[in-house]
Amino acid sequence: MRHMHKFLIAALALAPAQASAEITNRTIGYVLTNKAWAVYQTPDGKAECPNGFNDGPREQFKLLFPEKDGKQYTWMETQFAREADVWFPAENEPSTDQGPLPYRLVNGKTGVGLNLDGKVGPNDFTGPRGEPGIDNQLFRAVGCTMGFRGPDGSNYFFENDYMQRYNFNRVLLEITDVDDLTNDPDVTVTTYRGLDGLLTSANGKDFIAGGTQRIDERWGKRYIHKLKGKIVDGILTTEPADIKLPWAMTFDVNVDQGFKQARFQLRLTEKSAEGLIGAYVDVNDWIHRLQINWSTHHASYGQISTPSLNRILRKLADAYPDANGKMTAISSAAEMKFAQTFILHAEKPPKVASAKDEERTDARR
Amino acid sequence: MRVYLNFLPAVVSLALVACSAPPAGRAPAPQASAKDAVGPGPMDVTSPQRLRVMSSQQYTNTLFNIFGPDLKFDTRFPPLVRTGGLLGNGGAIAGVSDSQLEQYQRTAALVAAEVTNPTHRTFLIPCKPVDEKSADAACAAKFLPAIGRLLYRHPLVPEQTEALVKEAGEAATRFKDFYAGLAYALEGMLISPEMLLIAETSEPDPKRPGHQRLDAYSFATRLSLFLWNAGPDSTLLDAAASGELYTPKGRAKIVDMMLASPRLESGVRAFFDDMFGFDDFATLAKDAETYPSFTGATAADAREQTLRTLVDHLVANNGDYRDLFTTRKTFVSTALAPIYGVPAGRGWVPYEFPEGSPRTGILTHISFLAVHSHPGRSSPTLRGKALRELLLCQQVPRPPANVDFSAVENPKSTIKTQRERVNLHLANPVCAGCHKITDPMGLALENFDGSGAYRTTERGAPIDASGNLDGKSFTDVVGLGRALHDHPSLPTCLVERVYSYGSGGTANEQSKPMLTYLNQEFAAHGYRLPSLLRTIAMSNAFSEVKPPETRTASVPTQSSQTK
Repeated sequence: MRHMHKFLIAALALAPAQASAEITNRTIGYVLTNKAWAVYQTPDGKAECPNGFNDGPREQFKLLFPEKDGKQYTWMETQFAREADVWFPAENEPSTDQGPLPYRLVNGKTGVGLNLDGKVGPNDFTGPRGEPGIDNQLFRAVGCTMGFRGPDGSNYFFENDYMQRYNFNRVLLEITDVDDLTNDPDVTVTTYRGLDGLLTSANGKDFIAGGTQRIDERWGKRYIHKLKGKIVDGILTTEPADIKLPWAMTFDVNVDQGFKQARFQLRLTEKSAEGLIGAYVDVNDWIHRLQINWSTHHASYGQISTPSLNRILRKLADAYPDANGKMTAISSAAEMKFAQTFILHAEKPPKVASAKDEERTDARR
Repeated sequence: MRVYLNFLPAVVSLALVACSAPPAGRAPAPQASAKDAVGPGPMDVTSPQRLRVMSSQQYTNTLFNIFGPDLKFDTRFPPLVRTGGLLGNGGAIAGVSDSQLEQYQRTAALVAAEVTNPTHRTFLIPCKPVDEKSADAACAAKFLPAIGRLLYRHPLVPEQTEALVKEAGEAATRFKDFYAGLAYALEGMLISPEMLLIAETSEPDPKRPGHQRLDAYSFATRLSLFLWNAGPDSTLLDAAASGELYTPKGRAKIVDMMLASPRLESGVRAFFDDMFGFDDFATLAKDAETYPSFTGATAADAREQTLRTLVDHLVANNGDYRDLFTTRKTFVSTALAPIYGVPAGRGWVPYEFPEGSPRTGILTHISFLAVHSHPGRSSPTLRGKALRELLLCQQVPRPPANVDFSAVENPKSTIKTQRERVNLHLANPVCAGCHKITDPMGLALENFDGSGAYRTTERGAPIDASGNLDGKSFTDVVGLGRALHDHPSLPTCLVERVYSYGSGGTANEQSKPMLTYLNQEFAAHGYRLPSLLRTIAMSNAFSEVKPPETRTASVPTQSSQTK
């Protein structure tokens, strides 16, 4: 670290005085402070969820095993069976006497996200400002589930709470070769995992700019990705690339979230970056991450039924067909907020993630 | 719970004067010899012989030096009254109240318990009792007088040792615990007037008939408090006991040893913490909505940043004092970096602001900028006043009681910048007199908001940071730093403060020849602080004293009538 500080200080001392302290040597860094799966919400939810909101584990349990006519159930056929459903429901989720468990999908036309395939299809949403061809079938799956809706939904709330509580979630974006934060046709964006806590305001309520982050060069190599991008009218857009980001949730379980053909679309200022990441996410990965991080307790308070979600995600999957033509990934978007931060580099630049790093990571999982 | 009746006769008031001879029961200083030499400097100047109460930090430093820094206790002694620009001078006019005495006792009890607990006793107490459940006079007699010498800053006379050993023995018998008895006696020493009150005693100067000088132990104590902000250590007391301290070579050797000691950093920190009024940090608070980056950690680190910069520049690098107001070199921490807009390392990291940066000199540190501002906005007036009073030793008159603030506090005001705001004061003849003294240089710091963060605009209006200091005009804070660097009062103010801090009281009319001498020496040595400290420590005036005049009660009292 001592060498790192010397290097940094020397670099800054040599730098000419600049109008912006945040952009040094044509570089600006940001740290992720807030994230949530992009859900377009109207105040009463009727536009996007005309059929109401989904049941959660407790409500579904009552539907599946009603206490009527003195019927007696065994542990095996109720709780144990339902616990297994979390992991092995596929298309075989149990049915009630009236048929399969009901599940409410988003029915509205408006959605938040990016046009991932460059087309405008029948299942695409239209953005709030009229942007056509929004690919976000994950929103269709989770948009009518209270846990994913802000600001109080359990998943929405805790994912943000864990941003501060778990340092594992420290996502850094560094934009280099930047001449102008308003318009620059060619910039490079590098993602890293940071090692340090988020900088909070004096009242403890907000995350603020001006912090410093070290890069996790030892365990965080798999999160280092170089992306090309451009800035137009203050909006950074990166070219599609497959990336991984740290995505810890409950109990500090350190898991990743993979994004296929991911692209950032962020409004940049010297203090913040705010916008979206749009990508396809592997259904197996997405549900696996949720299930190993999310207790029944948390799921119950957000009406998040993983057996139902498991079934619905596979049904709505819209990309990356397997050998049988079955789609394995679903279009998605996550809203993200970043605060400006200074990113400390070692003298020797860290390696960008390679296919071998990916293989090693996957082998460990 | 000890009783401290033995304290009371000595603490009726510190307006008491110090004694020209050691009090009864105290070991006399070694006999002065005619071959001893006095220090240089004006020979017709003396410093007053004083009685002072020990400050919290002096008490803490002394105990850490004796017992080690891992002792866990707190010293929340009442603050001293700032006198002549220094809290340190307030020690000579302080009284000791009952509640203060309770605080001393609470600390003393904690320290005594820590020293004698099983963790510390093994290496702090040089012997083991024959039976831990009963008194052991032999072991107590090894520990108590040795510690007493360091706490009282002079050797104990045999009667004192006997009394302490007896007290420890009686308590051990009562508590059926040798260490509890030892703690009882130690607690007594820690709240003794001999520990808490620094009573200087003097003796005839053998080289200068008709003159008095501090006795060797009082001189050792004055030196130690001056340079280390703590009581003397064993080496210094040995030098006092042997008479070495009053030989030319011996005095120089001891002073140089003290200046080379790591403890000098504590002394320098304590002095500047006092001179710069950093006790204000205790009550510093900023509006969290206005200054979201300013936290409690920021305040603590801001104080530390400036003290680190001072020690590094003045002690470690023996730099020119005036350059403190133009240097771009400092240290930053995680808590400060967001306000400075720079990256932070882990912990404290040396940092140099780039050339052309407005961050030049300690005036642009968060410590100065934030302390001398309001909770929600900057203040050219408070900053200018602090600059004049703390750094140039000038006195800015207090505002009149009937100031009309309606113009500057009008919530519907269209005023955007602080310059416009203070200009309203200049339009009012009642206010203008003082604001003309403070505002022109305070406005040069307007590129820094009330938290110390850099800004170029205020409420959308561009900031004009031009100003002047006693005839020197400048366009920004860099110019202010240069003007301050070259201001003749900057070094003379430091000299006056250091001298009064060392001698324990405000410099007076009689000190003028000494101050003139010190100013000449300070300039001749390139305005280096260690050199100034050495010059003072070696000077005749630092050890030669004017004994207090005997005061006679103007109204006959019972005691005066019985004499």
